[in-house]
Amino acid sequence: MSDPTATQDLIKGADDPAASPVAVRDSQRSLWRDTWDILKRRKIFWISLVLLILFLLMAAFPSLFTHKDPEYATLSKSMELPSAEAWFGYDLQGRDVWARTIYGARTSIIVGVLATLATVVLGGLTGVLAAYFGRWIDAVVSRVGEMFLGLPYVLGAIIILGTIAPAQSNPSKFTIMTVVIVVLALLGWPILMRIARSAVIQAKHQDYVQAARALGAGPMRIIFRHLLPNSLAPILVYATITIGSFIGAEATLSLLGIGLRSPVISWGIAIADHKDYLRTGPHAMFFPAGFLSLCVLTFVMLGEAVRDALDPKLR
Amino acid sequence: MGRYAIRRLLQLVPVVLGTTFIINYMVWQLPGDPFAGRCGQRPCPDSYVTAMREQFGLDQPILLQYGNFLKNLLTGNMGTDFNGVSVASQLGDAWPITIRLALMAVAFEAVIGIGAGVLSGLKRGGFLDNVVTISTLFLLSLPIFVTGFLLQWLLGVRLGIITPTVPDEATVVQLIVPALVLASLNMAFTSRLTRTSIVENLRSDYVRTAVAKGLTNRRVVGIHLLRNSLIPVLTFLGTEVGSLMSGAIITEGIFNIHGIGGLLWTAINRQDYTVVVPVATLLVLVYLIANLLVDLLYGVLDPRIRYE
Repeated sequence: MSDPTATQDLIKGADDPAASPVAVRDSQRSLWRDTWDILKRRKIFWISLVLLILFLLMAAFPSLFTHKDPEYATLSKSMELPSAEAWFGYDLQGRDVWARTIYGARTSIIVGVLATLATVVLGGLTGVLAAYFGRWIDAVVSRVGEMFLGLPYVLGAIIILGTIAPAQSNPSKFTIMTVVIVVLALLGWPILMRIARSAVIQAKHQDYVQAARALGAGPMRIIFRHLLPNSLAPILVYATITIGSFIGAEATLSLLGIGLRSPVISWGIAIADHKDYLRTGPHAMFFPAGFLSLCVLTFVMLGEAVRDALDPKLR
Repeated sequence: MGRYAIRRLLQLVPVVLGTTFIINYMVWQLPGDPFAGRCGQRPCPDSYVTAMREQFGLDQPILLQYGNFLKNLLTGNMGTDFNGVSVASQLGDAWPITIRLALMAVAFEAVIGIGAGVLSGLKRGGFLDNVVTISTLFLLSLPIFVTGFLLQWLLGVRLGIITPTVPDEATVVQLIVPALVLASLNMAFTSRLTRTSIVENLRSDYVRTAVAKGLTNRRVVGIHLLRNSLIPVLTFLGTEVGSLMSGAIITEGIFNIHGIGGLLWTAINRQDYTVVVPVATLLVLVYLIANLLVDLLYGVLDPRIRYE
């Protein structure tokens, strides 16, 4: 299915105009090649890709989108409505909402991506180990996973974050971001563990794995060279959607006052800070909320487009 | 069925013990001060912290502490809040409201979610299918609090159709909008799950047989297709009853409903962790028991599960 050349195929397929469907059928066919062929015909994929690039640019170079300082406050302009001068108006402290919304992208995306990465590493590793070695390792990993699955997201995060970083405490930006990322990963890994585990269990009995074992490949080689690349598809899809849901979860925790907090700039904090001013200045809350939802939508759309393309049932 | 139920019950025991142990460990053993918020906006005096540590037995071995934690939970001894009001009595007042809210949310999920899913699944690729797919995509990306604030602002503040916050008595009519908000995410999941299930079963042999026998369309869909397609949907709805409880924290906080979620929301804002922990633990238990009931129901609905 997948090997290093598949990725090259994927890239070649992208800029090779001669790769008509017929030619593709004759050349090597791989899962990723098929997927790409389907993906590039889907409108939803291109929309989400454009949005994704926009958000990534926003996170990497916020100054491309605004020249204003997100920290600069003019109290006399507090809660001023949107105007030509400030597209999204001013927030409670008289700071420019547009600038703060742009700068907020970075934190939210970093938290979402890093938490997902940690989830994938933790869940993927435990899942692969459990499936490959089976027996008591599988039993222990699965039971521990069930215990963490018993904690619903918000509740689990409230319990953990509430004690490590209560709302009154004033942790540094780095500390609180790390804590939030760790908590999200800690509560999220069992689902990924299950996905990876079932993918590897399915792949384990395939002929190529038996062949590799017969040729004397050790467990590490079998896992990293054969099992992991072939179990990557479901993990990838789930991870993309998870980035979106983690961004939403981060905002929810900030809203409750136990996640990120000022002076960090993030969409969740902006929403939390202005939730009590819905009547006088809804703009200070709804613009960040809109960006937040759009960002979540981007990752969900992208994940779904890839999943649909990978799912042979729909072909 | 009896053996299956017992096996499932036995499997639940280590999970309940493990989950409560994790909670207990995280709250009392990790660095951080669980009593920080007990004294309002100022730091607690040392004498108070010492007294609290003694009361909660933090100087005892960890397993003994865990035993006490479980015993207190089971005997309903959940301590008092910041103002000295018993947590158990507050829970007693709050339960009915949250249950009403959760049941309404489940009803919305079932009626709207399944309805939309069936309609779009039967006419796959049609106009209605596209409408449902796109609107569920939007619902899936709106965090629950965004939906909540949006409806509160639009219907409550701008249009004045509802009161922005729900009064104390929280009647069924007053809870309609909060229940819709609470249900919004799962409604989208339900409708998608129903659609997938219908689409898959439409191609199955038994549906083809039913059509070939000359049964009317209504009978094929209503009896053969729906019954089989709805099994996964029902189990999903059941599992999600538990997670509705945690969604209720946000919804009840936004609409100021005095249910369990509202209780937690206030306790978190006040930093009253000795209240947050037992209430959150109870909600986790509800979630686990809901999952167990769903598994049992699954066994009843689909006999194949029992013989795995």
